[in-house]
Amino acid sequence: MTELVDVVLGGTFHAAVLFLVAAGLQLVFGVQKIVNLACGSFYALGAYFGITAVGIAIKLGMPPVLFLPVLILAGLAIGIVGLPIERVLRTIYRRDESYQLLLTFGFLLMFQDVFRFLWGATPRTMDNVYMAYGTANFLGVRVPTYNLLVIAASLAIAVGLGLFLERTKTGRIVRATAENRDMAEGLGVNASKIFALVFTVGCMLGTVGGALVVPSGAASLDMAVELVVESFAVVVIGGLGSMRGALVGALVVGLMRAAAISLVPEMEMLSVYLVVVLVLIVRPAGLFGKATA
Amino acid sequence: MSTPSIDIPSETAVRRIVPAINGLWVLLGLIAIMALLPMVASPYALMLMLPFIGYSIALLGFNLLFGTTGLLSFGHALFLGVGAYTAAALTSKFGILSFELLLITAALVSGLVSLVIGVLCVRYTRIFFGMLTLAFGMLFHSFLFKFYGITGGDQGMRVLRPLLLGMEWRGGKTAFLTGPFYYYALILFALLGLAMWRITQSPFGLHLRAIRENDGKAAYVGVQIFRMRLIAFVISAVYGGIGGTILAVTTGLADPELAYWTHSGNLVFMAVLGGSGTFAGPAIGALVFVLLQDFVMSVTQYWRFVMGSVLVLLVVFMPQGLSGTVEALINRRKGGQ
Amino acid sequence: MQPAPLSSTAPMFETINVTKAFGAFKALSDVSFSVSDGEFVSIVGPNGAGKTTLVNVVTGLLRPTVGEVRFMGQDIAGIGPVELARRGMSRAFQLVNIFPALTVRETLAVAVASRLRRVGNPFRSLKRDGVLQADVERVAEVLGLRARLETVAATLSQGEKKLLDIASAFALNPSVILLDEPTSGVSSGDKHAIMGVLVTAAKAAGVRAIVQVEHDMDLVERYSHRIVALQEGAVLADMPPDAFFKDPAMISAVVGTRPQTLRKTH
Repeated sequence: MTELVDVVLGGTFHAAVLFLVAAGLQLVFGVQKIVNLACGSFYALGAYFGITAVGIAIKLGMPPVLFLPVLILAGLAIGIVGLPIERVLRTIYRRDESYQLLLTFGFLLMFQDVFRFLWGATPRTMDNVYMAYGTANFLGVRVPTYNLLVIAASLAIAVGLGLFLERTKTGRIVRATAENRDMAEGLGVNASKIFALVFTVGCMLGTVGGALVVPSGAASLDMAVELVVESFAVVVIGGLGSMRGALVGALVVGLMRAAAISLVPEMEMLSVYLVVVLVLIVRPAGLFGKATA
Repeated sequence: MSTPSIDIPSETAVRRIVPAINGLWVLLGLIAIMALLPMVASPYALMLMLPFIGYSIALLGFNLLFGTTGLLSFGHALFLGVGAYTAAALTSKFGILSFELLLITAALVSGLVSLVIGVLCVRYTRIFFGMLTLAFGMLFHSFLFKFYGITGGDQGMRVLRPLLLGMEWRGGKTAFLTGPFYYYALILFALLGLAMWRITQSPFGLHLRAIRENDGKAAYVGVQIFRMRLIAFVISAVYGGIGGTILAVTTGLADPELAYWTHSGNLVFMAVLGGSGTFAGPAIGALVFVLLQDFVMSVTQYWRFVMGSVLVLLVVFMPQGLSGTVEALINRRKGGQ
Repeated sequence: MQPAPLSSTAPMFETINVTKAFGAFKALSDVSFSVSDGEFVSIVGPNGAGKTTLVNVVTGLLRPTVGEVRFMGQDIAGIGPVELARRGMSRAFQLVNIFPALTVRETLAVAVASRLRRVGNPFRSLKRDGVLQADVERVAEVLGLRARLETVAATLSQGEKKLLDIASAFALNPSVILLDEPTSGVSSGDKHAIMGVLVTAAKAAGVRAIVQVEHDMDLVERYSHRIVALQEGAVLADMPPDAFFKDPAMISAVVGTRPQTLRKTH
């Protein structure tokens, strides 16, 4: 029973983070029709920067209970890196899809060495965050409170994002631009600003996700590409272009990965890639939305 | 019977310019220059050219997929790995030293692996194809890394010096690699280049281009899209495997990093740098890459950053690559497209 | 002037009680019609009447929910475009559909290479294939594109692109050709020119029946042997043009206005 709860909670925790990243991807894809391979880099960036931020917080003598907000803020702050990147991406918006893939792949490569330069090649961990939040009693099993907090935070962000898109004026403008850019521009919308906004928000979702996940594992150079493949699996299951699909996809991938880890621990990396392959054999079109075929 | 005029003749109608020197000759010319190199270059420079040959062969295959068929693979280094590990297994585990056998086996194994992977990947295009190939590449890398009992893990597997045409070289390693092996690889490159040229100039190659241009319409004119893509995938894998074998013999080692995603990135970079729209473009990209990497690595260890930024600059400012730009310049003088 | 239909017995292709439903929505309801040797049939109807769905079902792209589609007596439901082309029916598109970077010659060669089954050997030469190139040139000649053989398709004029699309359908040597609004996007002066080329070319190429979806009632009136009118997925009428255009109710149901040629007497 303990193991089952562990797996489910661990899987849901990972799914919560994946969902944030996938939501960012969906948002950017929905509005700008761009698939950003560098999303993995943002995730890793958030993780590394999160570690640095918490390190600073410790040095400043901050109480450990503030670590979670620190992580979220760190994620949001470093997400600003999306702005210059979007500026470059702007040059290829209306061009063939392979340009996007190549360009964002170039960023993926660049970031790889940025990480190596700033944080070194050995994986970095963050030990004390879990201890700061202790454990809670969930269905008779002791589980890390941190995980529960992150799941809650992720849901809150998701709801917040949904409300923003549905209820606010800017949100409506974003949706209109997603539907039809030229039309929106004809109505006076500054599409460039909207694109910059959307991309940066998407980026921030990635960096926050990375920052939130890092206490449970490590920030490593492999993180970026692993996430690219994982978020791809999420998108395949849930279809490209659907938030609900992102949620379902994230849950499936998160749970499958947790299950694989608990059964065969050495398979952690392999399991992610296997999940992708399996999903594609079984469900090529995704559950929602249409696969870009 | 005269046909009625349809409408005002188009002012924009442009005839295709047939290049004065076709791609095959450019490639063979490059190879000829390489063949003369030993007379003037140091052993160090010649050693640098060997990976160039290996990569160029792999790129002939890669570009059949990308330039001709329009499928961008982010996991092509998988086949470099397959070729390398096949050579390693045959020489150090089974004692088979005939280079010809190594090549044939590497080609077969790559072909089989690609058949299985291709059936899954080739159903998709663009983003999904790219991601799937990325996933398979990393899957293979993980496998090489984790199953150290079979593969030697991160230590890799040794590749012993093979026999060329049954003959053993009793001298030093450098002399072997910059001597008989160098020429053997060049001749192999020339032959494989000729074969790939024939492929691109065939009706099969034309069908691949039709798929790239408009896969929606292609089916309506009788193109069997899935089958053609799969065959192209397998051919590209075979070339990749052979390229990997050459790389492995050069370094004497098959290691998991050969299949890592950044290595696939190298291939993508070389193709884009040299120009995926021309036949000899990727090989030119490989040459520039090998020289550039050598130079940059002597200055800084952050080679990937340089490569990534050059790729970004290329995509934004010069997507047709070096050879494409040169071709466009020549064509502009001739006045056409 | 309408070409006289040849005598015909068995239909070349037919739809039998075809219904196509997408969930609750019925795009086609119990559509039955046939096309015989030598006929030129036009499918007409307002937007949303189900014309494109019918074409998709008839060309094997969609399977009918109910009913059969037969070509030369054989069931072709859902066989897909490649197999359909092999059996002798090819299709040209409404929106311009070309291979942008390929020349006219190469575009036609794609079709001819499929038909002649030249893609089995990846090493054979395209340029030196005399039979293939001769076929390409023949089709180009018949459609008036000979002067444009070496032109890159993306740089052709709109009308020429349309012709190229039709030409590639012809290059498959079909017995039946299906044209989806062949003159859409072309100026009205050219429309008749294109139709003229088309009909002459069809005869020269040995095409035995033509089916078109068309909005321009002048063209429909002038070239068709029969008109099949669709409305909300059902067949409203299936009759020769004279009968069709004599009935104002029919015309307004389909078009809303009377065509100009009605003032002429045949």
